[in-house]
Amino acid sequence: MKTNWLIGGLAGVLMLAGVAFVQGGGGEGEDAASASGQPIAFPHNQHAGSEAGQNRMDCQFCHFSAERSVDAGIPPVSMCWGCHQVVQGSTPEQQQEIAKIQDYVDHGEPIPWNRIYKISDHAHFPHMRHVTVGLECQTCHGEVQTYGVLNERDPAWGGDNMGWCIDCHRNPPEGLTATDGSPIEEASVDCAVCHY
Amino acid sequence: MTDGIKRRDFLKVLGASSAGATMTGCGPSEVEKLLPYVVQPEEITPGVATWYATTCGCAHGCGLWVRTREGRAVKIEGNPDHPISQGGVCLQGHASLQHLYNPDRFAGPMIREGDRFRQGSWDEAERLLAAKIGQNTAAGRDVMFIGGHMGPAMSRLVDEFLEGVNGSRVEYHAVSDAPLREATRLAYGVNELPRYDIEASDFLLSFSNDFVDDGSVADDRGLSRMHSVDEGEHSKGTFAYLGPRLSTTGLNADEWLPIKSGSEAVVALAMAAHIAGSDHSGPYANLLQAYSIGDAAAASGIDEDSLRDLADRFSAAERPLAMGPGVGGHHRNSTAANLAALVLNHVAGAVGTTVHVGGGSVAASSPFSDMLKAISEMASGQFGVAFVHGANPAYSLPEGSGFSEAFDQIPFKVSFASAMDETAAMADLIMPDRHFLESWGDAMPRKGVHTVQQPVMQPVPHFDSKQAGDVLLAVASHLGTGIGASTFYEYLRAPHQAMHADDPTGFEQVWREHLRTGMFGMGMMGGGGDTQVPELRVPDRALTFDGPSFDGPGDLTLIVHPSPRFRGGEYSNSPWMLELPDPVSKITWHSWLEMNPATAEARGVREGDIVTVVSDHGAVDVPVWVYPGIREDAVALAMGSGHTEMGRWATGAGVNAMDLLPSVAEPLSGGFVTVGTMVSVTPTGERRRMATIEGSSDQRDRPIAPAVAFLDLGHSEDGHADDGAHHGELMELQGYGGVQPVPAQDGASTAYPLPGADHGLYANAHEGPRWGMAIDLDKCTGCSACVVACHSENNVPWVGEDQVVMGRDMTWMRIERYYEHVDASHASHLDVRFLPMLCQHCGNAPCEPVCPVYATYHTPEGVNAQIYNRCVGTRYCANNCPYKVRVYNWYRYTDENVPEPMNWQWNPDVTVRTNGIMEKCSFCMQRIKDAENRAALEEGRDVRDGEIVPACQQSCAAEAIVFGNLRDPDSKVSQILESERTYKVLDELINTQPAVNYLKKVTFHEVSGGH
Repeated sequence: MKTNWLIGGLAGVLMLAGVAFVQGGGGEGEDAASASGQPIAFPHNQHAGSEAGQNRMDCQFCHFSAERSVDAGIPPVSMCWGCHQVVQGSTPEQQQEIAKIQDYVDHGEPIPWNRIYKISDHAHFPHMRHVTVGLECQTCHGEVQTYGVLNERDPAWGGDNMGWCIDCHRNPPEGLTATDGSPIEEASVDCAVCHY
Repeated sequence: MTDGIKRRDFLKVLGASSAGATMTGCGPSEVEKLLPYVVQPEEITPGVATWYATTCGCAHGCGLWVRTREGRAVKIEGNPDHPISQGGVCLQGHASLQHLYNPDRFAGPMIREGDRFRQGSWDEAERLLAAKIGQNTAAGRDVMFIGGHMGPAMSRLVDEFLEGVNGSRVEYHAVSDAPLREATRLAYGVNELPRYDIEASDFLLSFSNDFVDDGSVADDRGLSRMHSVDEGEHSKGTFAYLGPRLSTTGLNADEWLPIKSGSEAVVALAMAAHIAGSDHSGPYANLLQAYSIGDAAAASGIDEDSLRDLADRFSAAERPLAMGPGVGGHHRNSTAANLAALVLNHVAGAVGTTVHVGGGSVAASSPFSDMLKAISEMASGQFGVAFVHGANPAYSLPEGSGFSEAFDQIPFKVSFASAMDETAAMADLIMPDRHFLESWGDAMPRKGVHTVQQPVMQPVPHFDSKQAGDVLLAVASHLGTGIGASTFYEYLRAPHQAMHADDPTGFEQVWREHLRTGMFGMGMMGGGGDTQVPELRVPDRALTFDGPSFDGPGDLTLIVHPSPRFRGGEYSNSPWMLELPDPVSKITWHSWLEMNPATAEARGVREGDIVTVVSDHGAVDVPVWVYPGIREDAVALAMGSGHTEMGRWATGAGVNAMDLLPSVAEPLSGGFVTVGTMVSVTPTGERRRMATIEGSSDQRDRPIAPAVAFLDLGHSEDGHADDGAHHGELMELQGYGGVQPVPAQDGASTAYPLPGADHGLYANAHEGPRWGMAIDLDKCTGCSACVVACHSENNVPWVGEDQVVMGRDMTWMRIERYYEHVDASHASHLDVRFLPMLCQHCGNAPCEPVCPVYATYHTPEGVNAQIYNRCVGTRYCANNCPYKVRVYNWYRYTDENVPEPMNWQWNPDVTVRTNGIMEKCSFCMQRIKDAENRAALEEGRDVRDGEIVPACQQSCAAEAIVFGNLRDPDSKVSQILESERTYKVLDELINTQPAVNYLKKVTFHEVSGGH
């Protein structure tokens, strides 16, 4: 029992330390939250959605390297401008946001997007291996094509939790096929596949 | 206690509490930015490496393939199509990345104001320089240009520039081959270095020629190919080293004749006389009559029989080759020594087969006497402006040369140094040059080999640098002495454009092909040099072959040699170079004085004692390292340490050997004399702990790096010449009953459980590959380039001198060096074993069962993996590892030691580890994954043999390392391991079943100990 008490106490101290950490971080959090809005109110649904008036663009039109690289890629500013120097927007709000692109182009500056989806630095996720077997982007990222401005992750995304990855590696969705056409029944759950 | 809390419950509670802390910690407060390109460069795909072909920076001019990620150079590899380097890269080549991202580079042009420098703009600096040159010319004074190694185009430009400003130029190299060049001119009338074809030779003599230490990957490969055993042919070349001190090169020899410093010429001539006999005619007939083996024995301290025997065997060899003293053995008579070696080659029939006159390199052979002449001219006040480019004479010349005083008198001194060094510190204007990885240029390492140097990335933005060629063009244009090109790029292209003006494909297409291959033009792959045997000529200058003089009253000859890590000192400000264990001494960071054990004992000096070394020219305090590979009458000190103004790492590390040397040029060639002074050594009474990684230089009768005698090959009963399990302590240990040999497994080439076998910790039904490695100890030359390649590829941090002293070095791979037989007292066989030691990826790994959190485990493909995010840092695994290949991050080395922009070098494919984490060789897991991804993606197939090349194997010029699938009987690694020389380190002692297999070294003498 004495041991229990000791260990409980130790855990309690750690808990308190955690609370202190959260409180300490609170102020910072507020600043960051106010800054968490995207630099341009980019609506994924307007581009990739399939409702009336939406443009049904393929995800990989802009995220161009998902099929051939570990990184999915984010579109260069010139790619945005490629369409938007013609497509100027139909509402004042749209026109105002699209004008921002021109500002970035004119100043030769990148658009400082806030990163929403990220797995830890100690895990390596090769997009191309997942995309080429036929996984939909939505399987991990959620129905991003239905979202307006993206400021938080879809609840479907579990990238903070390795079990979420492992579940899928053990029981992949039906219909995935390797490059040679053979069906994929399971993927490796070896640690070193992602961690090195 | 049974109802007490269980370990797992404790971990759960602990986990929950810390998760509570971290989850709230990772809220929106950690917004990370995603920055797209404004305009995506066509050749860049994020996450995919882009490779560029270029040429390395030193005079060897090796071809490189540079790996870039998102526009940053992250790894240097060899260009396998380059006719000379053939894919190898030396230590300094890898470390060039650290010079590129060196935080000590200048932020921009620096203009002196009193005692300090002020950063100016390029326009200001160029106008200032033009104005100063204008005033100088008006005052009737001249311009001096002191230049180090540069490519042909830059060299041409400098000459054109100097023509317009009444300038004169002196070439200066801290380390040069001038005596060999003069010897070749005297012997054959050809004012070029000859080309030695080491690979073609079957009997190699090196007279203090340290060609491996010198960084020539072509020679390294040549040695490995000629000297390693060919089991099919049952042949192996012989290598004998004649010199007072064993360098890395010398440690590879089969026999060592520890001749006295300076006796090379007499020994070579006596051998030539012995071979030629009395009926030899020709210009050297009389000379050869004058030297006998007896003379050589008296001069060298080696017995007559050994010399005669060596001469007989050299003469009997089909393709002998003798190499005169290289850059490491310059004494006051080294031209004669090189000439004597050429005569020996001539009478032995080597010229035309292994020695090719003409076609060698003409670079880096300018004489030191030119520099001395320039110094006296500078002192005369004739020059008003001096440039220094690619050289650091204020550091690399002895004080007696008077360089600093003379240079200081020049009214306006300009340096092109990209980071501070001793010479730049004296300058009035510093115009920081670009690193070669940011520059345009060309190189001609040998006649007929003309290669491209192209920028592999945009200049590192922290430093406002400008290529020296562009600066000269701009200044010339300000002065109105225009050279006809506005940029150096244009200047470089112009002659090629003229040459290909009529090319039907158009010049741009031709140029792109040049850039892709890294080569100007094709059809220049020939060996270079004449296969005709030129006539020996009567020397057109008087010379003597007798031993040189040494100055000073001391009782020990001081051998100063270029460092295998820093060369002459230009590579010193790199933590990789500083922390790399020296290939000979295994010491990092600081300097040491090499001293024979008998000499040390006679003086009551122990290893680590700090001694004062005094010559007539200066004194230094340095710790002693006791080394059996040096004569009793000599001590040795490496160049390249003891900088006073060279960035945060090199400054203050070690002592400068130049402080002990006289400023003497060899009379014939004008080469700098580095072995020319006597010293006395007295203990200071102080001691230090050496920053070494070596535990022991003795195998203590354990078969760690065994050898097999050449004559025993092919005569073993069980196909394995000697399983090494029957010797000394091993037998004793087995006598205690705790250690039993592994039961034989039907002669399987690997002890790892094959499909179906239920042996070992991991019975494995996996059908995939079993990754493994073969390392041939008969090929390894100990050069250590693999170690630096590994650091570069795997984000291995450096820890600093203090931490190395505490045994906290973090290298994933080390080259162990064991002495079996090293005797400096007389001529005898030499037996030194180099063993590249890395994680053995044991099938039965002792580290795995002791990890409480399963952070280390065995992958189905046979790799012993280390999962950093699971590791909690108990270090049990390292304690249980019999190979000492696991290293621990005691501090946040990757944060605290790595200033911006040095971290730009990090490989984005490998996790950067932090404190509290154990790490080790992963078999370059990222490269395995990359090859698997590409194979699966492109063709939906498995990886083919040879597609996965770990960084160490890629870098190995000696071709000693081969990686592959042990389970595939047709893979190259499996084929190699068919050899009867195959063994696994300590396997029979502790049953670890490693995936790393070694091939025993082959010796000509009978193996007595340390099988």
